[in-house]
Amino acid sequence: MQGFIFMLIFLPVIFAITLPFTSVRIRTLSTILYVAFLIFTSLQVFFHTDTIAFSFSHFQHIAFIVVDFALLGYFIFQGIKYKQNLVTILAVVQTILFIVVLQFSSSIFSSDIIVDDLSKIMLLVVNIVGGIIIIYALKYIDLEELKECKKGLFIGILFFFIGVMNFLVTSNNIELFFLTFELTTLCSYLLIRYRMDDIALNNALRALWMNQVGGVAILVSLLGSLYFYESLYFDVLLRSGASDYLLPIALLVVAAMVKGASLPFEKWLLGAMVAPTPVSAILHSATMVKIAPYLVLKISPALSPSLSLFIVIFGSFVFMSASLMAFSRDFFKEILGLSTIALLALMVALASLGTQQATTIVLILIVFHALSKALLFLQAGILEKQYHLKYLSDIDGVISHSKVVVFFILIGFASLTLPPFGAFLGKFMTIELLADLVATNALYIIPMVFILLGSVFLTMLYFKVVTKLLIQAEPTQDKAPIPYLFVLTSSSLVALLFYGIYKVYQLGYIGTFELLIPLAILGVTLLLLILSSYKGAHRVKEYNCAEKDEVVIQAFYFNIQKKYLDFIRYVCILAFLTIIILGAI
Amino acid sequence: MVEIALILLTPILGGLVYGVERILRARMQNRIGPPLLQPFYDMYKLLDKQAILVNSYHIVFALLHMITLWITVALLIVGFHLLYVIFIHLIATIFLVLAGYSVRSVYSHIGSNRELMAMVAYEPILIFIAVGFYLVYGTFDTAVIFNSELMLDKMILLFMAFLIIIPIKLKKSPFDATEAHQEIVGGVELEYGGVFFEILYMAKWIEYIFIFTIVFLFCADSFILGMVLSVVIFFVLNLIDNATARIKIADLLKIVLGFGIILSIINLIGIVYV
Amino acid sequence: MFKKLFNFKAYRKKSPWILHYNAGSCNGCDIEILACLSPKYDLERFGVLNTGNPKQSDVFLVTGPVTFRSRERLVELYNQIPEPKVVVAVGSCTCTGGVFRGMYNVEDGIDRYIPVDVYVPGCAASPELIIDGVVKGLEVLETKTKQIEVPFKLSTSPEQKDGIVDRTNMSKRIGDD
Repeated sequence: MQGFIFMLIFLPVIFAITLPFTSVRIRTLSTILYVAFLIFTSLQVFFHTDTIAFSFSHFQHIAFIVVDFALLGYFIFQGIKYKQNLVTILAVVQTILFIVVLQFSSSIFSSDIIVDDLSKIMLLVVNIVGGIIIIYALKYIDLEELKECKKGLFIGILFFFIGVMNFLVTSNNIELFFLTFELTTLCSYLLIRYRMDDIALNNALRALWMNQVGGVAILVSLLGSLYFYESLYFDVLLRSGASDYLLPIALLVVAAMVKGASLPFEKWLLGAMVAPTPVSAILHSATMVKIAPYLVLKISPALSPSLSLFIVIFGSFVFMSASLMAFSRDFFKEILGLSTIALLALMVALASLGTQQATTIVLILIVFHALSKALLFLQAGILEKQYHLKYLSDIDGVISHSKVVVFFILIGFASLTLPPFGAFLGKFMTIELLADLVATNALYIIPMVFILLGSVFLTMLYFKVVTKLLIQAEPTQDKAPIPYLFVLTSSSLVALLFYGIYKVYQLGYIGTFELLIPLAILGVTLLLLILSSYKGAHRVKEYNCAEKDEVVIQAFYFNIQKKYLDFIRYVCILAFLTIIILGAI
Repeated sequence: MVEIALILLTPILGGLVYGVERILRARMQNRIGPPLLQPFYDMYKLLDKQAILVNSYHIVFALLHMITLWITVALLIVGFHLLYVIFIHLIATIFLVLAGYSVRSVYSHIGSNRELMAMVAYEPILIFIAVGFYLVYGTFDTAVIFNSELMLDKMILLFMAFLIIIPIKLKKSPFDATEAHQEIVGGVELEYGGVFFEILYMAKWIEYIFIFTIVFLFCADSFILGMVLSVVIFFVLNLIDNATARIKIADLLKIVLGFGIILSIINLIGIVYV
Repeated sequence: MFKKLFNFKAYRKKSPWILHYNAGSCNGCDIEILACLSPKYDLERFGVLNTGNPKQSDVFLVTGPVTFRSRERLVELYNQIPEPKVVVAVGSCTCTGGVFRGMYNVEDGIDRYIPVDVYVPGCAASPELIIDGVVKGLEVLETKTKQIEVPFKLSTSPEQKDGIVDRTNMSKRIGDD
C-alpha cells in the first residue's frame, strides 16, 4: 500500500518527463495508459480501509529542500525578467522566511505522509477527474498551433501537476505542504502563460504573486507552529490544545482562501481563464482550487467557535457577492470561474463548522462540483474549438449544429442547481443543517440569508446563460462532427455524475422517492425531446406584431455600480484581517 | 383516499376556482361576468382549434412545466419533505423559462427573463417559510404538519411574507410583470395556440391549488380556519388586482425581497428566542 | 350526456376570443369596441376575451380602411390565426372604404385581402350593432371547418415539408412577386 502512494506521487513526474519527446500516436496511447494506471491505483488506495502512514528518509528531505530553493530562485528570476516587483519581493520574503524556518528543529515527530479518509476521497477526485481532463486535453492541444514538443510538454506538465496534487493531499508535514503548494503555483504559472501572448503573461504573473501571498501565510504559520507547538506536523498541531494559540491555524485558513480565490483575490482566477481550456478545467475548477476546502476541513477540529462562526459568515458573503458579480460578464469561462469562486467560498464556510454533518456536505460538494464544473469547462472548450465561440453574445443557433453540446451544458447547469444531482444535494443539506443551527444560535440567520440569496442568484445566472443556446437557426453547410475524444470524455463525466448520485442514494443521504421523482421527470423530458415530432401541427412564425424585421436576441446583463464593488472588496479585505486578528487573540 | 381524489381532480378544482375568480372580478367591476364553467368551455374550444407550433422543444418544455406543477401539488398533499417540494417547484419554473428561451421571439425572451427575476424574489422567502415550519413543528414532512396542532400565531410574520408573494405566483397586479398582458403580450405563453395553450392555461389553474394548499398547510389541522383564510385571501387578492397597477420588475424585486426577508428574519429570531 | 361532453363544435361559440386590429382607422370604431367590453355592454358574459395574440384568438375584429402600411400586417396577422376563424369587419370604412372610398392611400375595405364573414356598418358602429355582429359571427363559426383559408392577395399557400404543413413563409411583402 505504501508502494501505491509512492507510485501515485512520483510516477506522474516520470510520465511527465517522457512525454515531450514522443510522437502523437505514442503520446495518445501512453497518456491513456498512464491515466488508466492512475485511476486504478487511486481506486486501490480508496478501497483499502486502514490509514496509511510513512515518512521520508533524511536524504529525501534534503532533496525536497533543494527543490524548494530552486523553485523560489526560479520565481525571483521570473520576477526580475518581467520586471514585476511584487513577484520578486514576495519570492525574496519567502526565501528569507524559509531559511529562518530551516534553522528551527522540531522536537515532536510524526509521519510525513498520512492517508486518511479525507485524503483518499481527494485522491479519487484528483486522479479520476484529472485523468479524464488530460485525455480531453490530448485532442484539444492537437488542435492548437504549437510545436509538437511543446504539445507534449503541455501534457507532461499536466501529469506533473497530478503528481504534485497527490503529494499535497497526503502530506502531513507542513513544510512539504508548503513545497507542494508552491509547486502547484508553479504549474499554474507555466500553464496560464502557455500561449505566450501579452495578456497571458500578465495574467500568469498576477496569479504568481497572488498565490505567493498564500505561500507567505503558510510560512508564517509554520514559524508559529514551530514556536508554539515545536512541531511541523498537522496532526500534532491539531491534537495539542488547539484553542490556546490559534495564529498558525488562522494563517492556514488565509492561505486556503487565497488559493481558493475568494474575494478580494478573485482576479487571478478570472485572469487565468485566458489559458487553454483544459488548464481552466483541471487547475482552476476541479482540483487545484479544491485545496481551499480540503485544508479548512483538515484543520477544522482546531477552530475556535468564534473564528468558525466568522468564517461561515464571511464564506457565505463571498458566495453571494461572487454570484452577483457574474451577471455582468460576457466571457463564458469567466462566468464559470466566478461561480466556482462562489461555490468554493460556500465549501470553506461549511468546512469550518467541523461537525459530522457539515463534513459530509463538504465532501459531497467537492466531488460533485468537480465533476459538474469539469463537464462545463469541457463544453466551453468544445464551443471554443469547434464553433469559435468565446463570448455569450456571439452564441446563436448552436442547437441546430450540435444538440449534444447543448444537452451537456444543460445537464452541467442542472447538476449544480436542480434535484436530484449532487451539488444541489449539498445545498439542500446545507439549508437543513443551517435550520438546525439557527435553533441553537440565531446569529446563523445571517449566513442563511446570504446562502439562500446566493444560490438563487446562481440559478438565475446559469439559466440566463442558456438564453441563446436554445434558439434555433438555419443550419449552415459545415457540419463538422465533434471529435470523438471530446464526446467520450464528456459522456464519461455525465455517467460519473449519475453513478455518484446512485452511490449517495446507497449511502442513505437521499430517500428513494426523492431520487426517483426528479430522475423520472428528467427521463420523460429526454424521451419527449427526442421522440416528439407533432406531424399534425402547422408550423408558424413567432409573433412580432406582424412586423417583418429580423429579430436579434441578446441575453441580459446586470452591471454592479463601482461603489458597491469597492465596498465588497473593502469588506473582504477587512474580513481577512479579522481572521488573522481573531487567530492572534 | 380523499388525497388521491384531490390529486386526480386538481385541474378541475383549479378550473372551478378560476371560474369563480372571473365572476368575482366582474361583479366587483359592476358587470355580470361569464358563466361558472367558462374555463372548461375555453378548454373545449382550444381543443377544437387547428394545432400550431413553432418548434417541438417549445411544446415539450411547456408540457413538462404543467406535469411538474401537478407533481408538486400531489407531493404536498400526500406528504413529502417540504423543502424538496419547493425545489421541485423550482424545476417547474425552470421548465417554463427554458420554454420561453427556445423560440426566437422577443416577447417570449422578455417573459422568461422576468420570470427568472421573479424567481429571485420569491424563492428565498419560500425557503424561509419551510425553515420556519421546521423550527415550529420540528419536521419538514407535510403529512405530519397537516396533522399537528395549529400554531399560526408563531408564524404570523412568515404568513404575511407569503401573502406578499402570492400575487407574483398567480400573476396578479401589482406583481404581474412576468406575464404582462398588453405590455409583453403574455410573455412566455405568447407563442402557444390551440391545444398547446391549453397546457399552460391548465398550469395556471394548478398554481391556484398549489397556493391554497400552502395556506391550508399554515393552518395545520384546523380545516375551518384554512377554508376561511382561503376565501378571505381570494377576495382580497382580486380586490387588490382590480385596484392596483402593475409595477416594474426591478421595483418588484426590491419591494418583495426587501419586505419578505425582513419579515422572515424577524419571525425566525422570534421563534428562536420567544 | 356524453354527446354533450364530446361535441367539441358546440363549444366554439361559448368562448370566442377576439383579436382587435386597427388597419388605419380614425379610432372611432375602436372606442366603440372597447366600450363593448365595459360594464354597460359587457361582452365578457359571452366568454369573450380580448387577447392581443393571434395564435389564441378566433374572431378577428378589424376596423379601418386598409391603409398602405397596414396591408402586409393585416395579411400576416390573418395567417397566424389558427382555423376555425371568423373575420368581422367593423365600421363602414372596413366594409367598403366609407368616407375614404377612392382615396389614394386606402384600399377600399378589407375584403380585397381576406375573406370577411360579417359586415357591421356604421360610422362609428354602435356597440349594440357590434355585439350583434359578433353573435352572428359566432353562428358562422359553428359552421366552419379546419381547412386553411388563404388571403386573396399578398399571400401564398402553405408549403409542405416532409408531411408537415409549414406556414412560416406564407405572407409576402409588397414588391415581392
